[in-house]
Amino acid sequence: MTLGTFVRNNRPRWQRLETMLSFIEARGPAKADRPFLRELSALYRATTGDLAFAQTHYRGTTLQLFLHQLVARAHNQIYRPHRLSPYILGKFIFTEIPQAIREHLASVTWAAIIFLMGIALGLSAVQFDERAASIILPNNVLNSIYSGKMWTGSLFSVLPAPVASTYLFTSNISVALLAFAGGLSCGLITAVILFQNGFMLGVVFKLCADYGLLGAVLAFIAGHGLLEISSIVIAGGAGLVLANALLYPGRYSRGDALAVQGRSAVRMALACIPALVTAGCIEAFISPTNGHTWFKAVLGLMLGGCFWAYLLLTGKATVKPVAK
Amino acid sequence: MNPSTSTWDTRKTELELPEEIDLQVELANVGSRTLAILIDLTLGGLVLFIVYSLWELLAHNISEDWFMKMSSHVLKIVLLLLFFGFQWCYFNFFEWLWNGQTPGKRLLHLRVIKVDGSPVSGIDVLLRNLSRPVDTLGPMGLIGLLMIFINRKAQRLGDLMAQTLVIHETAIDWSIFDQMEAQAGTGGAAVIRLNAKQWELLHRYLNRREKFEYDVRERLARTVYDVLKRTAQGTDLERSPLPPEDWLVELARRT
Repeated sequence: MTLGTFVRNNRPRWQRLETMLSFIEARGPAKADRPFLRELSALYRATTGDLAFAQTHYRGTTLQLFLHQLVARAHNQIYRPHRLSPYILGKFIFTEIPQAIREHLASVTWAAIIFLMGIALGLSAVQFDERAASIILPNNVLNSIYSGKMWTGSLFSVLPAPVASTYLFTSNISVALLAFAGGLSCGLITAVILFQNGFMLGVVFKLCADYGLLGAVLAFIAGHGLLEISSIVIAGGAGLVLANALLYPGRYSRGDALAVQGRSAVRMALACIPALVTAGCIEAFISPTNGHTWFKAVLGLMLGGCFWAYLLLTGKATVKPVAK
Repeated sequence: MNPSTSTWDTRKTELELPEEIDLQVELANVGSRTLAILIDLTLGGLVLFIVYSLWELLAHNISEDWFMKMSSHVLKIVLLLLFFGFQWCYFNFFEWLWNGQTPGKRLLHLRVIKVDGSPVSGIDVLLRNLSRPVDTLGPMGLIGLLMIFINRKAQRLGDLMAQTLVIHETAIDWSIFDQMEAQAGTGGAAVIRLNAKQWELLHRYLNRREKFEYDVRERLARTVYDVLKRTAQGTDLERSPLPPEDWLVELARRT
């Protein structure tokens, strides 16, 4: 069969398949009725046959490429992954995310250790030389602390709370996601982010303690601190999971280890997003208010407790896995 | 066709489908992937610029008007969310919604697929796009570029993690098949047999030559002539004094 005859004989079929694919790509498979789907699958098989024929007889032509792409498009529709449904979403949130975290608690612990080292160094740096604080804190915050006042008052009087909360949670989520992605730099970026955040916290604590603001700063972070720190540590743990896959792939190749571990790591990183949105709203709406210290503390402990209970307790397998 | 041009910019990779047919796809090259990103960045930048200008306009026309103050704040929130959304959600959203394409990729006929040829799922899209700060954006882009050059399947770090490929979808020129009816009969001269690839090369050239500048057309005719002149071996066409382009027309008449 010449190329021209082959095209003339079969092109109507390919055109029909193309229109059917356009329909199903735009409207989804749920809109298609049974005869439509039967025809689609029959056409798909016929076209794979055409592709096999073209592979043998018309190698290297654009027709072969066209058929490749048509078959791939049909393949994409026929073997498509599950559509998003409430069930899939629920399973993702209440089973897969907590399981991913529990699987990688060691990495989360390491992230917490790096964070704590940051705090320790921040505390001792200010103890050693007060000027160390100017490395990491902006001038207006420093001046405010030196004059014995909380910097939060002036900060939140400029920005209305809705704007401030948006600013806080977008920048916090950016930091968390960067800590996750930074795992691809063999953990270097992740470690820097964790350490830097810990260092800043340590510096602020020591400096405030020196200027008699310790109570005020504790009252300020009581509401959102636990949630925020937990999130950054978990996102850092996700980054360390990636770094671990790159540095110690074990029996896998580095690429395969990354592909396997990446799937749980991204789930860990996603867990931080709702937590950070909540923390951002509390930090902007509730934390700057005067008084209510007990309320803030209870709220903060409760939210932090719920977050960890969700991560550590939900989604346990109902059927015990077979012992290896 | 010309072996010297089929180096890094026409890399192909084989996939295997459940129907046991090897699927050979054309990988997107560095140039088109970079261009697609630039288009996406421009698009996002444009939207951000418009909202930012609006906000500046409101913020600088300072008035105690309650409505103006309010809308300035609302715009500021929108601006923050847009910036955040562009940074972290734009690529994720479009690649998820359009089955592996962003506006830039769609314009350049690129698509993200899984290494086994199946469509990308939500998690794959997240994995390859959340890693962009480390291997695509800003100076880190050099790492991504290097990876695309070095990796056999042109995967950057994010692609490795998500097990995805970026492919180029080539369009086919159907009009060359429509002409076949018209040119039947060789007018008595010996029939020259071309294989499908040669036949397609000849007709794609003849079909498109009108669209080229004169010198490009000459040069291309010479290239195609060099490839196809072997086919005329042993016929009177072999030693024909015709210039390349007319020679090709004559060849088409005899097949």
